[in-house]
Amino acid sequence: MAEKYRHLYVVIEHQDGKLLPVSLEMIGEARRLVDSLNSKYSSKEKVVAVLLGFGIKDISQQLIECGADAVIYSDNPELKEVRNTIHTKAISQIAQDTKTLGDIETEYALDVKRPRYMFFAADSIGRHLSSTVLAELESGLASDINKLVVEDIEMSHQQKTGGKKETYAKTLEMYRPDFSGFLWTTILCLDNRNPAFQRDYHPQSCSIIPGVFEPLKPDASRKGKIIEFTPDIDAQDLRVRILSRQTIESQVDFETPRTIVSFGRGIKESPEQNIKLVEQLAKELNGEVGITLPISKKPFQVSSSLDSKYMIPDRVIGTSGHKTSAMLYIAAGVSGAMQHVWGMKDSGFVVAINPDEDAPIKDECDVFIKGRMEDVIPLLIEEIKKQIHIVEA
Amino acid sequence: MPELHVAVLIKLEPDFSEGNVSYNPDGTLNRAETKNTLGPHSAIAAHAAFFARVMYDAKVSIATMGPPIADVALQQAQQISDAEELHLYSDRLFAGADTLGTAEVLKTGVEKMQGKMDIVFAGHRASDGETGQTGPQAAWKLGFTFLGNVTSYAVDVDARTIRAKRLISLQGVPDVIEEVEAPLPVFISIDPTYKSSFDKVSQRLSFHKYKKEAAQRAEHFKDYFKIFNAKELGVDETLVGLPGSPTIVYKVERVPKSTATRHAEVVDGSDAEQIKKVVAKMKEALSAMVIK
Repeated sequence: MAEKYRHLYVVIEHQDGKLLPVSLEMIGEARRLVDSLNSKYSSKEKVVAVLLGFGIKDISQQLIECGADAVIYSDNPELKEVRNTIHTKAISQIAQDTKTLGDIETEYALDVKRPRYMFFAADSIGRHLSSTVLAELESGLASDINKLVVEDIEMSHQQKTGGKKETYAKTLEMYRPDFSGFLWTTILCLDNRNPAFQRDYHPQSCSIIPGVFEPLKPDASRKGKIIEFTPDIDAQDLRVRILSRQTIESQVDFETPRTIVSFGRGIKESPEQNIKLVEQLAKELNGEVGITLPISKKPFQVSSSLDSKYMIPDRVIGTSGHKTSAMLYIAAGVSGAMQHVWGMKDSGFVVAINPDEDAPIKDECDVFIKGRMEDVIPLLIEEIKKQIHIVEA
Repeated sequence: MPELHVAVLIKLEPDFSEGNVSYNPDGTLNRAETKNTLGPHSAIAAHAAFFARVMYDAKVSIATMGPPIADVALQQAQQISDAEELHLYSDRLFAGADTLGTAEVLKTGVEKMQGKMDIVFAGHRASDGETGQTGPQAAWKLGFTFLGNVTSYAVDVDARTIRAKRLISLQGVPDVIEEVEAPLPVFISIDPTYKSSFDKVSQRLSFHKYKKEAAQRAEHFKDYFKIFNAKELGVDETLVGLPGSPTIVYKVERVPKSTATRHAEVVDGSDAEQIKKVVAKMKEALSAMVIK
């Protein structure tokens, strides 16, 4: 059947000649989805990596070995740093270039106009790049996705279908955790089939949370096509110049300490005292203090020194911040929203302190101490002083 | 000095601060019982616009797409930024919009503001929708260079260029501060860590002058306020609201209980004996580096 939208394009991110982990995670998930799609519909759609940069051609082979069927690359000094306008236009040109699309799989060459799906990373680059690319392509984008399923969706929707029952085949269900962490929202990008506003919306696109999908093991025997694309670069867009780049060390070190003590909204009865208790507990264990995302939004009034030290984005453990595999993780007054759990589930031994036995954190810990932190932490500190003596090299 | 025109795109959002927010027993937001306020990231964007007011005597305009009650957010933003123009784009036709449908409304509105905009500011993301997409999509529709995660900026008004520092955070590599220069007009999405700094005495004097003016203006915010429906705004109806939205929310469900990889031992926090045992387990977990 003549379909205009084929293949899954993955926009690759890299730095200093190396692929970022999220790039291979996206390719891994893309591989699984496309294999499942091709098996179900007897099709030959492909996972295509889109790679822009300077001196990056050698990375292409690694992408093939980790699951891509093809790599479309543009190698140009003007693409060395990511400048939103230039990168957006180049990626959009690639996504609409029928010749390249045709080269990916010649069986579809006559009909294919755009990719069916597109993936970006949900990070400082990909979040914005995905937004502007999809504005240019005038199609749909869901952000911060952690689960993907391809389904034939049967529905009737007042606006999308004019109230009629319609089947949308090969629709990408894009799941994202909402701000509370307890609800999963499924977003769909659907053509308007309502005659009043008829239009196609492809590619169905999303930005993907780093660290949620598994990359494939590299397989040197995998073969793929490596295709060069020369984008049109507007001279006026070159007036945006990168003057300098400076690496900054985080003021919070979650790598070295063996223990992390995190707090969440459970501090609310007496925020100032409770943060100080957490601070003390962390000190006894030579640990670092982490927070949940809501705390970084400063929901409670505390002294300015505690506010500026702890209620900052840099301390967040979770999908919006850091991931840890600390030997000991203590979650005080943390309910266990999805985004936070992602950040701490690789820890060795997890202790939760919470008065509510129904809190989801109970499924993510080894010991659940039922009680309020203002009561429990002082007892813990007293006992730790007796039993544990930390010596750091 | 030639005139500088800046705009801020803001959003009315649930007020998550303690005392104003209300949660259901299952941990989800109780929207009906929760107050609404100027979103925190929108507020930071308004502060960033006020920096331009103080430093360059910029004229500030603020806009939002929302229900009629969103006027309170405009007032709050005016209080911060000393804006002299407040726009509310409100129409049933705008309802159900995703970020692309919203960006179309905002872009149309910005083009109707007094003066051609040199800088448009927006917050990093909304605290409820959290996509962070509306800003960059509005930028693209306006044809402005998009600069994201901006932590500070300075404008050369005569040369019509801006220098901005941006915080770039990527998984697996250290954070980078990038300094970029671009010709105006630009669209800036403000990083949550943005800070204004006023070093000279003359700047601090302007700061106080304009802060005072902002308070006076916000008291009479209705004098600066204009509401536009779809017709008045002159939008293309096929590009806004549900018709103009490629994406829809298909379903919302509770996150399923995770297949528990850990089985917690539940301990009574008031029982000193049990606490003693927990600490012994903690010590064991840290045993690689512990000396009793």
